[in-house]
Amino acid sequence: MAIDRKKVISEMSKVKVLGNEEGMIPAFGVYVQQLPGEFWNGFARRLVNSVPEDLIEAAEGLLVNAAHECGYHTGYGIITSDEFNTIVGPMIENAPEDVLHGAFAVFTAWGWAQSEVVEHAAGEKMVVRAYDYYESDVMLCGKAERPSAYMIRGVCGAFMDLAYGGEYDSTGKSGIYTFQCEQTKGIEIGDDYGEFVVTRT
Amino acid sequence: MAIEKATEFEIDHRFDPVGNRHYLNGVCSVLHCHHYATLYTQLALDATDFEGVRHLLETSEDVFHNILDRYFSEREIATIDEKIELAQQYWQAIGMGLVRFTGVGKYEVLAEMEYSHIDEGWLKKWGGSDRPVNYMTAGFVAAVAALLNDKPSRSFTVRETQSLACGDEKSKFKAVVR
Repeated sequence: MAIDRKKVISEMSKVKVLGNEEGMIPAFGVYVQQLPGEFWNGFARRLVNSVPEDLIEAAEGLLVNAAHECGYHTGYGIITSDEFNTIVGPMIENAPEDVLHGAFAVFTAWGWAQSEVVEHAAGEKMVVRAYDYYESDVMLCGKAERPSAYMIRGVCGAFMDLAYGGEYDSTGKSGIYTFQCEQTKGIEIGDDYGEFVVTRT
Repeated sequence: MAIEKATEFEIDHRFDPVGNRHYLNGVCSVLHCHHYATLYTQLALDATDFEGVRHLLETSEDVFHNILDRYFSEREIATIDEKIELAQQYWQAIGMGLVRFTGVGKYEVLAEMEYSHIDEGWLKKWGGSDRPVNYMTAGFVAAVAALLNDKPSRSFTVRETQSLACGDEKSKFKAVVR
């Protein structure tokens, strides 16, 4: 692998993101905002905790899909951005594998999760580990009953879509949801790290 | 960190190289896009049987009440004018749009937006809406209305009376004391 993770994380984490005179942050082809992790966790937990037992998985699926769609469009914006091309571009020897590794370094730099790809079968499967992530902050002590890193699940699937799902489709009618992700381990349920397994749908 | 003037929102942004997290004024913060924010909003709207909108609005109110309350306390911000200015600047800095508090009283607080992350995102993603959709800002307005009156969360109810996503020139919010 040619990607220098430390360098990518160091460079991309320096990007300062603040609203312009209109209070907007147009970047990477989308509008960006910088909300507290507690906000996203708070809504997700309140929603999941409000549904009956038999609907929990469905509610979780909707939260994952929101992240999947976000990851697909924003991920494309990131990997085609000037910043990515300047910092990661020269390190890419084998696309799309190196692009994926670079994207997860950016994923880490932006504070989504301290994550890396630990297993990768081109076009078929990817395993990601996250050693620290804001979605694990849902418990103050002890452990939760179920894993709750919906955002990471969605974005992992989306990144594989971008790598192997065909040409990017800004309408979202094709290319997206060709992969799915399951969370097999989680800090929030007592594991040492979160683990995310992405396979074809 | 230099303080240029009393009514300028101070932003202390730090990146923790160990946990790889970003902190704004000590609060773990993450970058997300309008797809994520509008899809969460749509999810809240769809979850009518489970009070999705109430969850979204109250989460926003609670989180931003805590953040601004701590900010005001730590810096001994006491006047209403300063609190209004700082709250407006905070919402602008984090990319949620340009909110202006146009009327503040004990029984009602009025706010409006010319630019809004949620509404611009909604228009970009879906073209428009037949009903107001900015529950995140509504929760923020409820939080600020309470703080301006030295009250806790849930002291005001908020309604979005005009909406950029619906084609109005501005979004307008009316908070009314419970």
